[in-house]
Amino acid sequence: MAKKILVIDDEPDMVTFLTTLLEDHGYETVTAMDGDEGLSQLRSQKPDLVSLDLLMPNKTGIKMFRELRKDPDLCDTPVIMVTGFGTDDTPNMDFKKWIHERSIKAPEAYIEKPVDKDALLAAIKKIIG
Amino acid sequence: MFKSAIQWFNKFMHSLSFKLSFYAGLLMFLAIIVFSYHSISSQEHSLINKMIQESLKDSEVIKAAIWNGMMTKERDVIRQIVKAIGQQEGFKEINIYDNKGELHYSTKPITTKTMMDLSAEPSMNDLRNDVRLRHRISRDGHSIVVVNPLINTVSCSTSGCHASPDVEKILGILEVKLGLENLNAEVSKNRKQTIIFAVSLFLMISTASGLGVVFFVNPKIRQLQDKAAKMARGEYNPRGRNGGTDEMAELIRSFDRMSIQINQRTNELDASRKLYKSLFEEVPCYLTVVDRDFKIVRANRAFTNEFGDQVGKNCFTGYKNRTEPCENCSVAKTFEDGAVHQSEEIWRLHGRDCYVMVKTSPIFDNRGKVLEVLEMAVDVTLLKRLQLKLERKQFEFKQLFSTVPCYLTVVDRDFNIVTTNDLFERDFGERIGRKCFEAYKNSDHKCDNCPVEKTFIDGATHYSEEIWRRNGEETYIVVYTAPIHNDEGEIVSVMEMSTNITEVKRLQGELAILGETIAGMSHTIKNILSGLQGGVYVLDSGLKTSREDKVRDGWAMVKKNVEKISDLVKGILYASKERTPEYKIYSPIQLLSEVCDLYEVKARNEGISLTRNFAQDVPPCFIDPAGIHSAVSNLVSNAIHACKDLDEDQSHTITVSCFMNSANLVIEVKDDGAGMPENVRDNLFKKFYSTKGSQGTGLGLVITRKVIHEHGGNIRVESELGLGTTFIIEIPAKFEHIQPRLQEAC
Repeated sequence: MAKKILVIDDEPDMVTFLTTLLEDHGYETVTAMDGDEGLSQLRSQKPDLVSLDLLMPNKTGIKMFRELRKDPDLCDTPVIMVTGFGTDDTPNMDFKKWIHERSIKAPEAYIEKPVDKDALLAAIKKIIG
Repeated sequence: MFKSAIQWFNKFMHSLSFKLSFYAGLLMFLAIIVFSYHSISSQEHSLINKMIQESLKDSEVIKAAIWNGMMTKERDVIRQIVKAIGQQEGFKEINIYDNKGELHYSTKPITTKTMMDLSAEPSMNDLRNDVRLRHRISRDGHSIVVVNPLINTVSCSTSGCHASPDVEKILGILEVKLGLENLNAEVSKNRKQTIIFAVSLFLMISTASGLGVVFFVNPKIRQLQDKAAKMARGEYNPRGRNGGTDEMAELIRSFDRMSIQINQRTNELDASRKLYKSLFEEVPCYLTVVDRDFKIVRANRAFTNEFGDQVGKNCFTGYKNRTEPCENCSVAKTFEDGAVHQSEEIWRLHGRDCYVMVKTSPIFDNRGKVLEVLEMAVDVTLLKRLQLKLERKQFEFKQLFSTVPCYLTVVDRDFNIVTTNDLFERDFGERIGRKCFEAYKNSDHKCDNCPVEKTFIDGATHYSEEIWRRNGEETYIVVYTAPIHNDEGEIVSVMEMSTNITEVKRLQGELAILGETIAGMSHTIKNILSGLQGGVYVLDSGLKTSREDKVRDGWAMVKKNVEKISDLVKGILYASKERTPEYKIYSPIQLLSEVCDLYEVKARNEGISLTRNFAQDVPPCFIDPAGIHSAVSNLVSNAIHACKDLDEDQSHTITVSCFMNSANLVIEVKDDGAGMPENVRDNLFKKFYSTKGSQGTGLGLVITRKVIHEHGGNIRVESELGLGTTFIIEIPAKFEHIQPRLQEAC
């Protein structure tokens, strides 16, 4: 049975791209356009992995990630953080470090935009097989 | 012959022996004369007294004899006695007068009736009453006259001979005259003898003392004269002991001692004279002695070797080949004021100019008048060259100090500015004597962490970055301090070298902005690339799997992102390229209406109402309509973005206002949208800053601000999160405000 991946991104183009990519590689996909929708999809669809955009309207990726980790039913779902902010661009905002400081389990992987297809697929393979 | 005799006499008169003998004899002579006169006078006096006493006694005897004769009425006896007495030696005459003064008897033969000489007896009026026995010296001084009154006693008045009445006190007068000739002759003889004695004593003493001087004093004096003459010739050498115990011998011994001392002094003087002479000759500088006519009197060897024998010639000829005295001549000055003078001169020597340092000092005669001047000249050519070099270097350093393109100041320990360079003076004005902190920063106290103070403490160079205030503007300055030492190595002042880095700071700021701009731009490009990459993949996947929907989606993504790149490139060009504004008289109301017309439909589609609030009195202004159009369009577009995608049940309004505020044209774009948090407000006008994600380029407000600034205006924003945002543009509407910008543009 194919593994189910929830793609959360406010950009429809990004959603199209990621779902196409994942489906081409044998994964089943569900999508959400913002954080609130993402959380409800998580609860209803029980995906094996979440690809989460960091900057989104309504509920940012970080807020949603925090809620996800705090929810006992959801906290074990692996998360790949997809972000436009690289450490090279924003030396003053090291997101990885910032998230770590919140004493919650770090995302299982970080992928930066523009998304490196092979790196994303490798990360997914490593986490859910 | 006669002349020589007079000379000899004069010499004799002035000689010590004559003076001594003459004055000693004269003194003795006068003493004897005075003494003898006094002695003879007293002797004469006592002889006369004695004679008087004797004559008084004689007159008493005669009176007694007369009285007895009268008593016995033997007149002839009386006459005989009187006559006998009168004939004795010494008696000149004996006269008897009656109480009327008539002569009754005289030892001299009487021819006529003679009266008593009353003029000789002042009290003769009292002849009848004066009973005193009295005497006098006759007028001619040759005799003593004794007057003895014959008193009318009781026996007389009562006797029967020729009784006189008892009222008569005096019966007659007995006058006895005694001769003084013998006595006078004796006295005169004594006088003569005394004078002879005195004269002979005078001659004896004079001769004795004269001879004493001639024999005992003169030879010694001559001896002293000889010695003095020898000593004067420098030939005298006192040898052996001079005998004798008298004052002259002592004087000669003193003279010898003196001559020994003088010899010693002379030898010393001679030695020092020789020393000075050798110094004068050997000293390694040119020495000349010059008289009042500027003639060289003496010159030392160094001078003679260099200039030849110039003695007797004028100094200006000798030194400088001049025909007349130099101007500002030190020698002349020294002759004038007797002080040391100094000058630097250029002499010709071996065909080349040489610099000499000339010092003149006076040589005084014994009356303190400047007799000659010693001129000392030292060749300082080498030194002078070094000095010139040093002066040149100093000038260069000064030049460097003045013109170096940074601020240079020298500050003393009390932080007073001692000197400044040209640039500092140009930018900060004359500040010498002021405190540095006051001059640089308008501060009234020393700065914290003062680099000048540190340099004074440790002598090292220090550095600080400071902000100075100049004409009310802040100037960024980097200051280096360095110590300035005196000859003893103490730090006397500190040099502050300050560079104006305001421009660097501004560039630094711009660089930071540029960095942020590039970061922002790369972010935007990354987003576009990401979209393109996704589109290409989806297209590719659709083609591979023959899924038309994927091909369409993918192609749409690619097209959208290509458009974004196109927008971005256009925006960048607009924001960075110097676009020349095209100013013209244009109605702002018309312009704003065009903008509103353009966005009316788009706003309505988003459920937003676009309101126009234009004041009626806004006149046409001199503006760049295309620029303002683009600026206001940006703001309206932003406002629509801020209002859309909010709660759908709430309607939003965007108000575009236009009015005049005094001389300014004011355009406001106000929305009641999301509002902005502080961090967004702060970054609003940065290039490539966008809150629209992949929708914006981050250049809109940059372009807007650029246009407003080109109009000499400003743009500001008021915003509150959740309540909305208002952008306010103010542009000076007057033509003059735009004129300079126009010229700039041309």
